[in-house]
Order: sequence, then structure tokens, then C-alpha cells
Amino acid sequence: MIELKNIEKYYSSKGIKHYVLRHVTTTIKQGEFVSIMGPSGAGKSTLLNILGMLEEPTYGTYEFMEEDVTRLNERKRIELYRNHIGFVFQAYHLIDEMTVYENIEAPLLYKKVGGAERASRIADLLDRFNMVAKKDLFPNQLSGGQQQLVGIARALAAQPSIILADEPTGNLQSAQAEEIMQLFQKLNKEDGITIIQVTHSEKNAQYGSRILNIADGVVKDDITLTAV
Amino acid sequence: MFKLNLKIAWRNLWKNKFYASINITGLAIGLTAFVLLLLYVNYEESYDTWSPELKNVYQVREFHSYSAPDNKQYWQTSNESRIAALLNQNIPQITAVTKVENDWYQNYALTVKDRKSVMIKGIRNADSAFFKVMPYSFLKGNEATALSKPNSIVLKKDLALKLFGTEDIIGKTISIVRWEGDDITDFTVTGIVTEPNTPQSVSFSGIIHTGEFDKHNQNPTMHKYVEIYARLLRNADLNQLNANVQKVYINNLKTTFTNSQSSYADYLKSGNVPNCKLLPIDEAHQNPPFVAGWIKKIKPVSLIVTFLLLISIINFINLATAQSFQRAKEVGVKKVLGSSKGLLVRQFLMETGLQSLFALLICGVLIELFLPAFNQQLGLNISFWSNHKLFFILLQLFGLFLIITLLAGFYPAKVLSNYKPATVLKGTFSNSNKGLVLRNSLIVLQFVISVTLIIAIGAMQTQVNFMNQKDLGFDKSRVINISANYDEKIANDIRKVSGVQYVGATTQVIGNAFAYADKINFQGKKLNLNMVTVTMEAFPALGIKPLQGRLFSPLYKQDTVNTVVLNESAAKQLGGVVVGKQFRSYENVFQIIGVIKDYHAESFDKSIIPTIYKVTYLGGMSANGNLLVRFNSSHYQAIIGKIEGVWKKYYPNYPMNYQSLNDAFIHSLEDNSRFMNMIVIFSVISVSLSLSGLFALSTFVAKRRTKEVAVRKVLGASNMQIVNLLNKSFLHLVIAANLISWPIAYILIKKWLDGFAYRIDMPVLPFIIATITSLIIAVLTVSIQARKAAIANPVKALKYE
Repeated sequence: MIELKNIEKYYSSKGIKHYVLRHVTTTIKQGEFVSIMGPSGAGKSTLLNILGMLEEPTYGTYEFMEEDVTRLNERKRIELYRNHIGFVFQAYHLIDEMTVYENIEAPLLYKKVGGAERASRIADLLDRFNMVAKKDLFPNQLSGGQQQLVGIARALAAQPSIILADEPTGNLQSAQAEEIMQLFQKLNKEDGITIIQVTHSEKNAQYGSRILNIADGVVKDDITLTAV
Repeated sequence: MFKLNLKIAWRNLWKNKFYASINITGLAIGLTAFVLLLLYVNYEESYDTWSPELKNVYQVREFHSYSAPDNKQYWQTSNESRIAALLNQNIPQITAVTKVENDWYQNYALTVKDRKSVMIKGIRNADSAFFKVMPYSFLKGNEATALSKPNSIVLKKDLALKLFGTEDIIGKTISIVRWEGDDITDFTVTGIVTEPNTPQSVSFSGIIHTGEFDKHNQNPTMHKYVEIYARLLRNADLNQLNANVQKVYINNLKTTFTNSQSSYADYLKSGNVPNCKLLPIDEAHQNPPFVAGWIKKIKPVSLIVTFLLLISIINFINLATAQSFQRAKEVGVKKVLGSSKGLLVRQFLMETGLQSLFALLICGVLIELFLPAFNQQLGLNISFWSNHKLFFILLQLFGLFLIITLLAGFYPAKVLSNYKPATVLKGTFSNSNKGLVLRNSLIVLQFVISVTLIIAIGAMQTQVNFMNQKDLGFDKSRVINISANYDEKIANDIRKVSGVQYVGATTQVIGNAFAYADKINFQGKKLNLNMVTVTMEAFPALGIKPLQGRLFSPLYKQDTVNTVVLNESAAKQLGGVVVGKQFRSYENVFQIIGVIKDYHAESFDKSIIPTIYKVTYLGGMSANGNLLVRFNSSHYQAIIGKIEGVWKKYYPNYPMNYQSLNDAFIHSLEDNSRFMNMIVIFSVISVSLSLSGLFALSTFVAKRRTKEVAVRKVLGASNMQIVNLLNKSFLHLVIAANLISWPIAYILIKKWLDGFAYRIDMPVLPFIIATITSLIIAVLTVSIQARKAAIANPVKALKYE
């Protein structure tokens, strides 16, 4: 599903190149649950941003579903966002002016899903995450864990094939974090959704099927975990 | 999607109530001024458009100097009456021509049997062709025959109802006394016409037909001036037509010189340009003779109004871009959820549109509130909801709404939709200096406008003070001007009223001046000088004293024959010391007996023209309706009552009209003071809008820099230093604005002052005052917010995050 070849990312200032990523080459198949790990400033988030097409690599090729996306035009990229990619953020990034229901609805509106279909999908998600009673609340009326659940529900609404999560549990207490990780695992196993997450926590990484260890912009280890 | 965006927009507005209300109120005020202007322009544009047939109606304009205030040639609306027949006979495209008496803006006494007389303005005499040219629709009576018999009258519906209370009045009689000495004349009502739905250049409340206008003026040396209107065949080529009109006019003019002393060549030599033209009637209103048309008059106003709207739009843009970081996250998230830039731009434009819409609604309310006052100020009758062009006006408003939304919303929408999700979603993004340069330049622009207006007020006030205090050359207190021609018998009776000091008449007095130039020959020098006829007591009545020589007096026999008094300007033209000298005018010799100070008979935009005063007959030739009465005490209200008693004896059917010269003077300044009032109102609004914008913006900046302020305080900055820090970022903008506005204000004020023949030198004080004022209020405005930021506990700001 994802094919990275020789991805490099650097910023040049005063003639000196500061590398963030070097020679990153890897393949991620449909249905994998990958955790990107490494110390602060290693380039984890940059890699995830490149995977999410939020940043462009300076060099190298990136194929997403057999399509070279490094030179993708805006229109095509938006199409990918609408149909294939769901984002989950550390700071949740729910839209404050929208209720829970409306936040989940937003991607469906962009995807131009019909009204009845929309209502049933949202109802499904609310039901699945036990949020029915909270659907008319605004994000600031929810706890962090609940906000992240809404964030995940929103990412799932468009029925993406891949979820990109940047430290999804970074702002949460451990009990809530565990809940989110179990949810990810379930989504990965039962629904076959590819998940790529950036995490600091060894424990969270264990929920996945593969770990990419990055240090100083270079992939040091690529460990495949066998299911327990 | 739209519904959701609308909801978000509403929630955002509610969250930022304070800024939103500043935006919306500001915009509403700017819009109100603009819409009033729009209504006014629509009103003026609608003149003479009430019937499609008016496309073929033309006003005749002769280029002549008769009755012009400064003896120069103008395209006048009143023409030699013979032109009417001349055009009718020689221009084949003309189907009908009508002669109408000038509107003297005079009250006529109308009496219906068994009812009280009423004073009515706008009763005009016309020939029988009037309704063949003017396409009025008849409610009662027959258009073709209404004016065919002498002594008939056609009324507008309003007047008919006022006089009779009913429309069934065909054949009834109205008795009319037109001028104070006239006999009662009975007119038979032959028609009622509906009031057209747009204003008319040829306005009237009733058209009378005495028959006098049907006759051809037979005496070639007698000139009679009337308004002339012509109806043409469809699709006449105006250029070609006017070439013909001019030819016909000049050919005729040449023939009029055959039996008089001067020749056509002389006429040309003295600088006259003979010309005559047809003007489409819908252009008549915007091209009045003597004064500037409404388009020119309204120019400075429209400029100010546009600036006002601009200021409120600037507030909008500034607050929106300053606020934009609040929305950055939303933009980032929406982008990764699959929103395109176009969709985001549309969303933000819609938010702006929502605010403009609110502003427009408030504006609608404000218009309803202010329209009556506006109408009263300008003497208009504009309505909004019952305007016959309502649809057109609403269309204009919709256009305005779109333009404002785009102007105010496009840039912020562009800034917002350009945010990159990778930067804004990292979590550390709190603000950017995006749009800072634009924001600062917009603030400068706002203050340039405000400071320029403040300077303008100062300069205008100085000129107004100058005009109010200027020596007019005559004493305007304790004098009234009765509109009546001089009659020695009545004058003598008025003199007998105790408290009356002098009774005189002149054709040159403030409020009603009339200029007529005559040729003189002074020691071989040929000159054209303004001639004014006065009565013996005119100068004492005006409180004018001689500078050299003496004034007219009944003691000298020749004063009623051939002596003259000059004003200073005329004396200067003749070489200074002129008393005792003589000049010739035609075959007569005149002796100069005195010189008086120049006195003002017109508003200050006109210079006093060199004038010769003479008393030709004992009573003077002052047939211009100025009967001046000077009192010996300033409590003269009771004396006027007694004079009215005298008046009644002579003119029982005609009430006395009078005005004090003080009022006439105030009236002559009225145009100017109205303009001044408007500038003051607009300046106050524009300054307060600019300040409210600055206030809101400083609030934002203070909020955005909370952390910086906290850090600085922890490092040991005093409150004062913090306030200064925040002030500094705005203060240099205000100073820059002042520097820019000085030259602009200088040029504008100079231009305005140049319109006055009597004016002050460019004042310096307003510039200084405006600068100091703008700096002080800017500092005060910013300091309110800066102080709040400065005294806040730094721990709070630093703990957060």
C-alpha cells in the first residue's frame, strides 16, 4: 500500500543542510499496524507528515496505492484525504465551534455522502463509541479521552483504508491510553484498517504488528512483532 | 455543508461578540451614510424621468448675461420669449413649443368662494401649448382643451384637494392675486393632473393660462424672459439640431440690431457670444445656470462617505486577520479532512457575508430613523420603502452587499485558507505575523482619513468665524426687507409709524441682489460697470456711510437726475480720487458725488463687483421687490405689526412677506454651514470608527502578547514600561499617518478656500491640534488595553500551556 524509496528531508540554512530524514526506504502493506518510535527530534513526526502528504520530501519517491504522490496536485491529494486517509492527532484537534455530531459529520460532508447515509454512519459510530448521549456537546465539554474518541470516530467516518496517528495517547492518562490502543488494535484486526502511529511508549507499540525505530533521521530497526 | 458553515459562523460571531459588534456597527454606520448618498443620487437622477415621452422634450437654453449675478454670459433657463415662435417656425423637427413663466418662488393668494385664502407657491403662467409639450396625465379635464381659453387653470391633485377637498371641481372658480398691487383675477378650473412619481425641473402646483403668453411680443426693443420647452419628433439628432438652432438664433439676432443704435458687430466686440441650444429635459436638472450642478456639489460628500465605508471595511479586515490565528486549527483540520481551499474561502466569505447582512439590516433601521432628518436638512422628499424605484434600489443594495463582503472578506479568507496543516496542527502554533504589514498600512490609512478630516474641520471653522465676524460694509441689524416694490405713498405711510427710521429700496441687498452692467465713458476710458438704482434713503437704511464726498439727499435737486455714488471697487477702477468728476453713459453725463465702502450683497464666494449707484427718478427704479425698513430699536417686532396695518390698507388681498437682513445673511451662509455640519458629523463618525477599530485591535495584540508581557514582567519590567511597549507599536503608525495627512489636508483646504472670494490664509493651528489630538486619543485607546495586560499577574500567563 505504501512504498517509500530513499526519502530524504532537509532544511538548508546558510548553506548548511540540516537533515531530518535520510535514506528512508520501506514498504507498508495493507492491514499492517506500524508504530514509529524514536527519541525527540528523530524525525518521527516528519515521516508521518510525509506519509500524510502534509509535507513534501526533498528527495525520493513515495507511492501511495501504486500512485506516485510526491508530485500530486492539490485536487488529487484532497481526493485521497476524502476517501483513504484518516488523521488522529495528539491534541485531538476537534473543531471547537462544532458539536460532537458535527465534528464526525464534517468529513462526510466533504465526501458528499447523502443525508440518510450520513445520519446512519454517524449513528453507528456514536453507538460504537458510546457517545450517543454526548452528541450535542461541544469539545470543551468533554474529557481528553472522550475528545480523542471523537477524533478517532471522525477519522473513521469516511471509512478510510489507513489511519495516521501522531502520538494519539500523548495527552491522555494511562487507562484512557490503553482504551484507545485496544480500539486501534480492534480496528486493525476486525476491519482491516492500516494504522501508522507515532509513539513514545514501548507499551503502546506492542499493540501493533511492526515497529520502525528512527534515530537522527535514519531507520535503525524494523521489527516485526508476532501476534501473542 | 452550507447549514453547518452557517452554524459555525454564528457560533464564532457569538464567541467574539465584542469584535463582531464593533465590526457590524461600524459597517452599519458606514453603510447608512453610503445608502443615504445612494438614495440621494437616485433621487437627483430621477429628475424628469416620470414619463417615457419626456425623451422627446427639450429645454431651450439661451446663452446670455441678462439677470446673471456677475454680468457674465450663462446658459440660462429664461430666454427671450420670441425664441419660442422662432424655433417653432424654423425647426421642422419641433412639433410643439411652450412658453412658461419663470418660477418666482413667490406666494400667490388663492381664494375659493366661501373659503379662506391660502398662500400657494408655484402657480405659473403658460401658453396654451403647455400640456402638448409636457406629457402630464389628466385625472379630470381634457389635455387638448384645458388651456385653450384664457383665465383657465389646471391644478395638481394635491392643490385641488387642498383648496376644494374634492376632485370634482371642473368649471369652478379660483380667485388669484399674484403680486401685491394686482387686482383679483378669476380663473376657471379646467383640469387636474396627477403628481408624477419623480421630481420635475418644471415644477408647479398649478398652471394658469392668462392668454398673455399666447401673444407674440411685438415691440422689438422690449425683452421678455420666459422658460421655453419644445417637443421634438422621435430620434432627433441633437448635434445637427443644435447647429440649426444656433443658426436660426444668430440670423434672428442680427435682424434685431437694424433699427437700434448699436450693431451686431458691437455686440460681438464687447465679448458676447451669441448662442442658443436645446437641452434634453432630463439633463436640465444637473446643469443649472449660475451654480454648480448636483453632481459637482455632491463630489466632496461622496468622497467622505466612501471613506467612511472604507474605514469600517478596514476595521473588518484588520480584526479578521488579527483574529485569524484563532481559526488556524479549524483550517488545518478541515484541510486534512478533505476540504479544498475553495471551500474554505467560501466558508469565510460566507461568515463575512453574514456580518455584512446584519450590518445591512441595522442600516435599514438607521435609514428609517435618519431619513426624515436627512430630508429636512436638504429640503428633499426621499422615501425608502415607498420609493417607486425600490426594486432598483434593493438591487443596488444587493450589489453593495456583495462588494462589501468581497472587499472585507476576501483578504482574510485568503490568509486563512492558506494556512498549512502541517504547521498549524503541530500544536505550538499560536499566531503569525501574517498580514501585519497590510494591517499596519490599513491603520495608517484610517488615521490619514481621520486626521485629514479633523484638520479640515479646524480650517473650516476658522473660515466660518472669519465670515461671521467680517465687516459686511453695511449694518445688518435692525433692518427688515419687505418683498414689495417701492411706492412713495406706502413708504411715506410706513415712515410715519413710530420706531421706523428709514424706508428705502435698492436692487442690491443681501438675499436678493440683481446685477445689470452698463457702458460708461470716463475720461476716454470705456468701461462696463454694474448699475444699481436706489432710493434716497437706501444707504441710510443699510447703515452705509460715505468714505468720500456725500450720499444722496433730497436737498440736492440734481440727485434725482444725474448724480451717482460709487463703491470703492468702482472708484479704484476709475483711478481713486473721483469725487466731483464726471463720466458719460450713452448721451447722459453723470457727476460722481461720493464713494462708499464695498458692501456684501451676496455670499462670500462671490467678490463684490464694481458698482455705480444712482437715483434716476425720485422713487428710483428699484422694481426688484426690496423694500428696506430700518428701525431705531432692536425690539421691532411690535413695529412690524403696525407696518402690516399700513400694508393691509394698500393690499388687502395680499399678506406682507418680509425677512430681516440678519436672517438673509445667515441664509447666505446656509449652504456652507450645512456642508460644515456634515463634515463635522462624518469626521466624528470616522474618528470614532477608527478608534473603535484601534481599540479592538489593541485588545487582540495585548492578548496575543500576554506571554511576552509576563516574561518581561518576570524579568523586571515596570507596568509603565509594558504600557509603553504596547503603545509604541501603534504610535509610530499614527505619527506616520499624520505626516501623510498634512500635505493632503493642505491641498484639500486650499482648494476649498479658493472657492471663497473672501478667505483666511492657510491656518497652521488646525494641523497642530489634529496631530496632538490624534496622538493623545490613540495613546489613550491603546493604553486601556495595555494597562490591563500590564497589571495582570504574570504567573497566570506563564502557567498556561
